[in-house]
Amino acid sequence: MISPAARNHLLALADDEHIIGARHARWIGLGPFLEEDLAFCSIAQDELGHALSLYEVLLDTTDDRLIDHFALLRSPEDYRSCWLVEAPCSTWSDALVRHWLYDEAEVLRWQALSESSIDAIARRVDQALREEVFHRSHADLLLSKVLTTTTEAKAAIEDSLGRLLPIAAGMWDPLVDEAQTLDEGVMNATAAELGQRWWTRVADQLTSWGVTASLGTNGALGTAIDTAIDSAIATSSAQQRNRMARSPEFDELLASIQEVITIDPSARW
Amino acid sequence: MSTATPTPTRSSADLDEFQAFIDGGGMVEAGDEMPEAYRTEVFRFIEFHANSELMGGLTERDWIPKAPGLRLKQIFLAKTQDEIGHAHLLYMVAADMGMKSRREMIEDLFAGKSRFHNVFHYQAVTWADQIAVAFLVDAAAFASQRAVFAECTYGPYKRVLKRIVAEEGFHMRHGEEMLLRLAKGTPIQHAMFQEALERWWWPAVQLFGPDSDPNDPLLAWKIKSKPNEELRHAYVQKYVPLLHSYGFEIPDRELRYDDDAQAWLTSEIDWEPLKATMRNGGPDSRRRIENAAANWADTAWVREAMDASAMNSAS
Repeated sequence: MISPAARNHLLALADDEHIIGARHARWIGLGPFLEEDLAFCSIAQDELGHALSLYEVLLDTTDDRLIDHFALLRSPEDYRSCWLVEAPCSTWSDALVRHWLYDEAEVLRWQALSESSIDAIARRVDQALREEVFHRSHADLLLSKVLTTTTEAKAAIEDSLGRLLPIAAGMWDPLVDEAQTLDEGVMNATAAELGQRWWTRVADQLTSWGVTASLGTNGALGTAIDTAIDSAIATSSAQQRNRMARSPEFDELLASIQEVITIDPSARW
Repeated sequence: MSTATPTPTRSSADLDEFQAFIDGGGMVEAGDEMPEAYRTEVFRFIEFHANSELMGGLTERDWIPKAPGLRLKQIFLAKTQDEIGHAHLLYMVAADMGMKSRREMIEDLFAGKSRFHNVFHYQAVTWADQIAVAFLVDAAAFASQRAVFAECTYGPYKRVLKRIVAEEGFHMRHGEEMLLRLAKGTPIQHAMFQEALERWWWPAVQLFGPDSDPNDPLLAWKIKSKPNEELRHAYVQKYVPLLHSYGFEIPDRELRYDDDAQAWLTSEIDWEPLKATMRNGGPDSRRRIENAAANWADTAWVREAMDASAMNSAS
């Protein structure tokens, strides 16, 4: 039996996986080259697979129709996705930076579930982490290349970092009943602890790629990367960090997700 | 002592000798000497095929975000990924023929300078259109590609087609499963597919092209194994009764079963829509090409950065 606190926590991860998968899917056929189309498409499929596996546990069913109704037909206020995954990221630099920021975090979030008291969750961790190795490798490789070659590419990525780092902070918004989830052994670290590890990894990686000064329009010019990140967090609003609040773009996304299934909800599509 | 006839292993620049080589079961490899006419025609054919796989992926991608289920979304992503993957393989085979690089072929496509299959000049306007593409178009493409694979004398193309045909076979079965859901589903679903069928039947039939010229060099060189009309006829014979059995009406008032010929005969096919698509003047040609071109331009900085990275690594 999964407690309401644990459900709340797992739903946040499941909805993040669902929505990021849906957002990544947009890039099929629109990548800068064919190999990128193929890679992004694989990553989208993996993330949707993670969402499916979590919804299966939450609903205690493998019935796709029940899962789809739950995944697609809730009201906006019942989703727990963060703003980073909800953002359209309609430029390739935004999509790539979001992919990197999210997957760096996703690894930590799954690792925190590796000894979960919910067996069905613990059993799903290994596969997710195996897939995340490739996701991170993909993002790291691309970012390391584009950040160390042309000034235009570096500027585009830094601009995206400046835009997305503030809302990325929302991944670490602690849910109200987090303490209970820890007491139950569902996970072994708080959102704040995971977030601190994530910020450290992000800062270290950016420094290794030579991003030491500027984080675009929202960043702090002329500062060290950790100061720039602190500045990015400071610029995020409480609303942007609140999983209970939907981003301005969510309604349009949900309308798209629901467009077909609501034509005839009684149908098997 | 072996009595098997040795397979010819060399081609020739002389057209008569080359034809004898082909007729004797010869296969042409990328580095072989070959008549320029063969190189040009086969290259164009493969480039057309590659373009069609890519633009087919773009046709299907529009509805992926709206897929009415998570597993369905995964499945359509995987299918579209296959199509883009086919384009990837085919562009490499075509590029190895030494006429254009992969990037040149893609840029020609997005500049409207090269062609792709007629069906991908149409827009999928409902989810049922997505299923019609999966059921009708994939089946037509599968039949067409399988006929090329059957004999195909250009070795690199034949080897890639082996994989493509295998994957398209999965797509076709997926299309059948998806169609069954609508056919046996609710009245709304049934009506949706009937409407989609009215939009997609004729483009799917036209995909095979007008009757082949008896002197078509691609037939003589065994790139194509069957004339267009034969493939089209077989397609109609299979899909008319299948669609009827699911309760759908083919949008052809003159369609009839001829007892003497023991065959379904369609009305005379209007080839003007097909010709329009070959001029990039189909119903959705402009939007499709312009969107792809705009996106290609928007992501130029990534390719430039990757080129610079490759040059740095090489130096």
